[in-house]
Amino acid sequence: MVRKKITPIKEELQRTKEDLADLEMYIEDFSSFLPLAVCTLNPLEIIIDINQAFQDLTSYSLTEIIGESLERIFLEKKEAKSLLNKTREKRMVRTEELTLISKEEKKIPVRVFVSVRIDEKGNFIGYFLTLADITEVKKFQEKTEEKVKRRTKELEGSRMALMNMLEDVEESRKALTNVLEDVDEARKRAEEERDKTKAIITNFADGLVVLEKGNRISLINAEGERLLNVKTKEIENKTLSDLSNPPAIKKIAELIRKTKDEGLFRKELSFKKPAERVLEITSISLASREEAVIILHDITREKLIEKMKTEFVSLAAHQLRTPLSAIKWTLKMLLEGDLGKITDEQQDFIQKTYNSNERMISLINDLLDVTRIEEGRYLYKPALTQLENIVQFVVNSLKEEIKRKRIKFEFKKPKEKLPKVKVDVEKIRLVINNLLDNAIRYTPTGGKVTISLKHGKEKVEFSIKDTGVGVPEDQKNRVFAKFFRGANVMRMATEGTGLGLFIAKNIIEAHGGKIWFESTEEKGTTFYFTLPVKKEFAEFLKEF
Amino acid sequence: MAQKMRKILLIEDEEIMINLLQKKLVREGYEVSVARDGEEGLKTMEEVRPDLVLLDIIMPRLGGFEVMEEMQKNKELRKTPVIVISNSGQPVELDRAQKLGAKDWLVKTEFDPQEVIDKVKKQIG
Repeated sequence: MVRKKITPIKEELQRTKEDLADLEMYIEDFSSFLPLAVCTLNPLEIIIDINQAFQDLTSYSLTEIIGESLERIFLEKKEAKSLLNKTREKRMVRTEELTLISKEEKKIPVRVFVSVRIDEKGNFIGYFLTLADITEVKKFQEKTEEKVKRRTKELEGSRMALMNMLEDVEESRKALTNVLEDVDEARKRAEEERDKTKAIITNFADGLVVLEKGNRISLINAEGERLLNVKTKEIENKTLSDLSNPPAIKKIAELIRKTKDEGLFRKELSFKKPAERVLEITSISLASREEAVIILHDITREKLIEKMKTEFVSLAAHQLRTPLSAIKWTLKMLLEGDLGKITDEQQDFIQKTYNSNERMISLINDLLDVTRIEEGRYLYKPALTQLENIVQFVVNSLKEEIKRKRIKFEFKKPKEKLPKVKVDVEKIRLVINNLLDNAIRYTPTGGKVTISLKHGKEKVEFSIKDTGVGVPEDQKNRVFAKFFRGANVMRMATEGTGLGLFIAKNIIEAHGGKIWFESTEEKGTTFYFTLPVKKEFAEFLKEF
Repeated sequence: MAQKMRKILLIEDEEIMINLLQKKLVREGYEVSVARDGEEGLKTMEEVRPDLVLLDIIMPRLGGFEVMEEMQKNKELRKTPVIVISNSGQPVELDRAQKLGAKDWLVKTEFDPQEVIDKVKKQIG
């Protein structure tokens, strides 16, 4: 019975043993087949078993690794330890990523799954641990990351480029804004300037006419309207030549046309209509030369006053001459004994008085010459003459004076005969007389005076050089002014009216010539004048 | 000799000039008549029939030029030589005087009394 009983148990056991062996084999096979690396740990965290995949992954053989602690195969030892602790609490932990160190010291990224091992009675008997090689995943991940990075970088680059572009645009915008502001400012300034100019033009004391292209009148101010007797409405945008009325405009138009290129400077024009008026006209070409401003300065009153002054001086001088003549003649007769015998002392006094009177007469004569110049009735009879003859005449008349001052005088005549000049002989004689008289007067005794004549291009040049006192540097620009006398000359207390050179300049210029000088104080002075040989003179004469 | 005395008519308004010239001319042996303006001058001319006239230009009533114009109208008087004695020596005036038959011209301020005599002598001896 027992046997009977034992036998089935034995059989049962045998079968169970066989089943177990089968199961173990099965598990072993399964375990070795499993692609996932698995290792079994005891509660002390010692490796007690690994499968084939684990060996493949770590390159450790079973014998090499059994009995080793888990930490040994991981780079992150602490993490490995804490991972197991965590597992004991939670029974199962997954997706921890650690770095496995293979036998060849290769670092392999792995994902770790750990679960606790429990026996049938629920006792903790260790851990199961599986490692999934995530190298490929990592690689892929890294690749992806790199891609993302690269892409990000590219995008960043693009973004930067875009930013730069935006900055540029912003800068351009700012610049443009600035430009616009500047333009606006400039426009404002221009407008202000225009308003200012307009205000000046409108309120200008002189008449102003602004001409634009084609001599079209673009602006005329109030004074201009008054002087020309026109209304802006009537003449604006018309050309000067369109307007034949009033006659004043016609006259000005003619003048402007004639002198288009040079412009005009203080040219006097007289008008009878609308009122008797003298205008001083200046025209200025503006930058473009197409435009011009004409300034009309009303000098009617000045002219009147000037005329009155001239007339007064002329009259006074004439009136003075009568008594001066009487004095002259009386003294002369006294001196010549016509009125009875006189003592030597009386003779002496009378002679001195006579000399003073002569000076007075010459002053009056000079004044009359000046007034005649100012009245514009001065040149009279132009005649073709040899300048040389006039010079000789003057030299002869001053011979005595030259001798008295023991001046070495020389008259350098040109080798060839000079062409004739058309001059008012009397007046040119006066010029040369004034110049020679000055040279003698202001050259110390024993000095030298030289007159030369030269033939220039279409002109004859006269020069007179002395070794006299010279003209002070700071007074040179006033030499030809009316009543000018050099400071050094005044000290010499010699006689002289200060009118001689003024008269000379006017006479020479009226002949279309030029007069000028060079001088060094204490060394001497040279005066020059030229007279045109040809036609020009005729023109000038008309004006006089 | 007395009949042969040359007669000069001095037409001049300035008293002192009259005195001076008269004195000088008389001393030189001329018979001198005096008129103090142009009108009087022409009248005296008719009466005296002078051999020469010394004529001022600017005078009251009738000026020197007008006197010469009147003389030109008269056949007899036209022949009488005239020397102008003037205050001014403007070429314009000189020309005009010459056209009106003046033989010579003197600017008072520029001539001495003696030169007047010289010019007179040159005309009528």
